[in-house]
Amino acid sequence: AARCAAPCRCDGDGGADCSGRGLGAVPTGLSAFTYYLDLSMNNITELPANVFKNLTYLEELRLAGNDLMSIHPEALSGLHQLKVLMLQNNQLKMVPSAALRNLHALQSLRLDANHITEVPENSFEGLQQLRHLWLDDNNLAEVPVEPLSHLANLQALTLALNRITSVPDHAFANLSSLVVLHLHNNRIREIGKNSFSGLDNLETLDLNFNNLVTFPEAIEALPKLKELGFHSNGIAVIPERAFLRNTLLRTIHLYDNPLSTVGTTAFQNLSELHSLILRGASKMETFPSLTGTVNLESLTLTGTKISAIPASLCEELRLLRTLDLSYNKIKELPRFQGCFHLEEINLQHNRIQQIRGDTFQGLASLHILDLSKNEIKSIDKGAFSSLVALTSLDLSVNALTSVPTTGLRALHQLRLSANLDLKGTLEPRSLPKLRTISVPYAYQCCAFAGCDTIMSSSGDSERKMDTSSKGAGEEVAGERIHLAVHCLPSPGAFKPCEFLLGSWMIRLTVWFICLV
Amino acid sequence: VNWGCHGGCLTCSDSNGCLSCKPRFFFFLERSGMRQVGVCLSSCPSGYYGTRSRSPDINKCTKCGLSNCDSCFNRNFCMRCKAGFYLLQGKCQETCPEGLVPSDTQRECVLDCSA
Repeated sequence: AARCAAPCRCDGDGGADCSGRGLGAVPTGLSAFTYYLDLSMNNITELPANVFKNLTYLEELRLAGNDLMSIHPEALSGLHQLKVLMLQNNQLKMVPSAALRNLHALQSLRLDANHITEVPENSFEGLQQLRHLWLDDNNLAEVPVEPLSHLANLQALTLALNRITSVPDHAFANLSSLVVLHLHNNRIREIGKNSFSGLDNLETLDLNFNNLVTFPEAIEALPKLKELGFHSNGIAVIPERAFLRNTLLRTIHLYDNPLSTVGTTAFQNLSELHSLILRGASKMETFPSLTGTVNLESLTLTGTKISAIPASLCEELRLLRTLDLSYNKIKELPRFQGCFHLEEINLQHNRIQQIRGDTFQGLASLHILDLSKNEIKSIDKGAFSSLVALTSLDLSVNALTSVPTTGLRALHQLRLSANLDLKGTLEPRSLPKLRTISVPYAYQCCAFAGCDTIMSSSGDSERKMDTSSKGAGEEVAGERIHLAVHCLPSPGAFKPCEFLLGSWMIRLTVWFICLV
Repeated sequence: VNWGCHGGCLTCSDSNGCLSCKPRFFFFLERSGMRQVGVCLSSCPSGYYGTRSRSPDINKCTKCGLSNCDSCFNRNFCMRCKAGFYLLQGKCQETCPEGLVPSDTQRECVLDCSA
């Protein structure tokens, strides 16, 4: 059997696991054919010269979670085939550039979670094959521009969780192979106009949790960008044509910025974008043009001064599934007809006054419609007629006097509370699937509150709301309907179903009290 | 079984192992039979990558977002593919584009030296 050092466990295939054994030094006696050596989570404080010189076949060396404060310049000599070197979670204050110099086959170098404040200029000179570099969670005050310039094959780099305050022009000029760049959780206030020049293949850029106050226009140099994050910064304005040269963008994370203004043309021609979330751009008055952003499936645009939705919205966004335009100033609604895939519309807290017959026509996939907290006085009889999949409708806090129920046969939940002029009662039969309903007055719950309702074909025994569903000819004579509908406010002692003075007992009592 | 407080553990319990980690270690829920046990690692296991964040200060192992990837740098960037797949620019593919050939030992698309 292949030799193995005493405290380690060897798999007989060149792998040696010596991790977490309280070792204070690199064990001796390992097989020369070891290709994988895990020394992580021990107490090793130093690596003497030539300590691995017999392990010429070593490809992966894990030294994470030890107490290394420095590495002897000759400690890693002989490791000509080393591909992966893990030094994270140690106590290094400087990149051990001399020790790394001859690792010509190295592809992955982890230096994260150390205390590195300095990256010598020649740090990575010998590492022509390096592809992945972790320098995150250290104490870097600036981007190590010169050392990085040697890494033409680098594909992924993280400098996150450091103390970087700015990104100078041409900071990554030679990194033409870079695909991923993480700079999140730094203190970046400024990004030069040419900071990202040379990053021709960059697909992911993460600038989240920094101190940016202006939009990073340097992204113009990133034609292949697919994923961009700059949420949790201090950016107030997104300029016109902000993403003009980033047409491959799929995700843009920009929440938690004090946005006030968004350029109308900022989000045009982003044909790969599937979701756009813009909250609280308080000074925004015009709906952004989404021409060419044809694959958007989710649009959230809330907390603005926008008062109108373009009539062409559903001609451009045919794949839209969720639309949240709540907390704006919208008065008029366009026809949403082209948006066949719409499943959810939230128009809560706007200034809508009426719903026309064709507004929601053709939306056979719509499940949720929230029109609460508007000023809606009238809804066309046929407004909901084609919403065959609607399960939740919120019309609360409006100025309605009547509610059309045609087409609402799938409805589970209906909110009508705080429509003070809505005094008639609804007809349970037009809402066969209803499970919860809230209404302005308790007596309106009587039609639903579990009382058996005898419906004769000649007419109803109760005052009827002006519901247009009667016309649909769905009446069934003599049907006994027992509905378990949760209705609020539920009738009670002082909010009876019958007319308060309808009962003789109560009338006599009132007379007696008056006479006495 | 007492899983005890090992390596990067900060707080732990007899039955669930690590409940929280020392700073800069990655928290990972390891499956052990029917049970899940918390462990604190300096590097995440195969198929996961470490995400470091300071707000809040939680480092954890997150699953790679790409299928067929053994080791990834972040959700969408692979560093080493599973057997039968070949790495090219952070993605794992079943075949290689023109001018490159699949290398089973390296699990990568490499230059076609014979060309």
